[in-house]
Amino acid sequence: MKREELSFERPTDLFASQPPEMRGQSRDDVRLMVTWPEGNNSHHQFMDLPTLLKPGDLLVVNESATLLASLPATSRLGSIRLNLSTRFSDELWIAEPRWGPSRPGPLPLREEDILQIGDSTVKLLKSYPGIPRLWLTHFNASTSALMSMYGEPIHYSYAPVYPLDAYQTLFSRFPGSAEMPSAARPITPRVHNMLLAHGIGITGVILHTGVSSLEIEDETVEHQVLYPEPFHVSAATANAVNAARARGGRVIAVGTTVVRALESAWTGNMIRPCAGETSLYVHPGTGVHAVDGLLTGLHDPVTSHLAMLSALIGIGQVKEAYQEAIKHRYLWHEFGDSHLILKQRAENN
Amino acid sequence: MRNVALITGAGRGLGSVLATFLSGQDYDIVITSRTESELRDVTGSIRMMGANVTAISGDINDPSHRTRLLHETNLLGGVSLLVNNASDLGETPRPELARASLDRFRLTLETNLVSPLALIQEALPQLQHTHGLIVNITSDAGQAGYQRWGVYGSSKAALELASKTLAAELKPLGIAVVVVDPGDMRTRMHQEAFPDENISDRPLPEVTLPFWAWLINQDPPALSGMRYQAQGTLWEIPA
Repeated sequence: MKREELSFERPTDLFASQPPEMRGQSRDDVRLMVTWPEGNNSHHQFMDLPTLLKPGDLLVVNESATLLASLPATSRLGSIRLNLSTRFSDELWIAEPRWGPSRPGPLPLREEDILQIGDSTVKLLKSYPGIPRLWLTHFNASTSALMSMYGEPIHYSYAPVYPLDAYQTLFSRFPGSAEMPSAARPITPRVHNMLLAHGIGITGVILHTGVSSLEIEDETVEHQVLYPEPFHVSAATANAVNAARARGGRVIAVGTTVVRALESAWTGNMIRPCAGETSLYVHPGTGVHAVDGLLTGLHDPVTSHLAMLSALIGIGQVKEAYQEAIKHRYLWHEFGDSHLILKQRAENN
Repeated sequence: MRNVALITGAGRGLGSVLATFLSGQDYDIVITSRTESELRDVTGSIRMMGANVTAISGDINDPSHRTRLLHETNLLGGVSLLVNNASDLGETPRPELARASLDRFRLTLETNLVSPLALIQEALPQLQHTHGLIVNITSDAGQAGYQRWGVYGSSKAALELASKTLAAELKPLGIAVVVVDPGDMRTRMHQEAFPDENISDRPLPEVTLPFWAWLINQDPPALSGMRYQAQGTLWEIPA
């Protein structure tokens, strides 16, 4: 697949810069577009989700909680931000130096450069192989302490920074994500209760997200390098997913992170309990095997997320759905509207 | 207690990249290679970073050389990470097994299988003391049966089985063993394996650093017996 196939035009004002609850609404007060297996799209409120699914379906959410991963740093280039991405230890991270929320890198930094955060220092070890914007970094102090003293949630130009609570979901239990796994954000206690009342199961995996979906830089989509992220699929979750499939229920991933975790745990005909580090990149060449649908937000052009959506339903349907979303003025990004994508189940699956 | 790493074949390629990385991660480093000049360069760059490194050139097949290496790690408090990275590709151009020199084959087995085991045997008291991790570097040639890769490949296959066996046998001692396939990289060994090819499309050995960053921060007993592909998409912790 060529890079430009994942490109699309979108009006510049279709962003949610504010969470609905900051506008005096409820978190579930967002819209929901459904792309059906037959290819048609329909438009709903997020509150309708329980009635759009069937008893026996299983939602799989990400239980990772968001960190205060954006740190102010000084370097020989002046004041910059250092966004932590993937943790190897409290002192060793993949991190992204940026000019600021709205100005990405790569910055003209070199190996062995030292950044200062408070009284602590960070050494840039190596630029990340294949992703020059990211660095392997080594801290001379505990990053947990630095985050609690100086950190704020990672945010970008389209939205100001909000208190950390705005970046957690009902299911955020295990801190570790650089950015909010946001797909479950509109699932409020009342939506949760309605889902359960409709006989729809909910189970969780953990995948600690790094900095968000990289714009695909390689001309061939499948060649883009992803970096590793820690994940965990428990035995209980594997059982729940396998049981849902066995009884004919659909497995709906809530968020692209869940697709990556479940596909990483896929054996060819079932999910196994699995933990470790995954840099699995789901694209049309790999296909999607472990899930029947994806509840997610609306994604930027030319990102690895769009490659995953194309793996689910084909690039043609993704583009049609996105045209619909633009026509109906859906809002992009983590505080925006939702999109449920249901794929056709393969006969032998 | 300081971490102490012993890395063989550290004069260039993967070994030198790994040694340099570990030296920045609070490891005291003992490195070895047959080529003294290369070892000197690596040592120099590690010292510039302010880390503690001991370099001893020599042949890993020489028992007295192995003893000297472990004497050094012992002085530092005992080896906690032993990386058997030094490897012999065998004859080049790579022969078919049917025509391979048997004497040369024996040398490859000595370097890739017997000497790593000898180093492990002799290091056991230290590794037991540190609850250390043994990393044996392997190759997909050890699993695949590619034509003209029989000499090197079977030495690595044997090393993988020895590693798996050791993982089971050393478990009661609190010593962990993993094998790591670093994947194709732009190294001198890779060039020697493909003398007529332009290998500039292969990644530099730095491509494996995220894997090492992850590995050294895991609890070794949890991983013992595993085989990892450093350039793979999944580094699994067994349930």
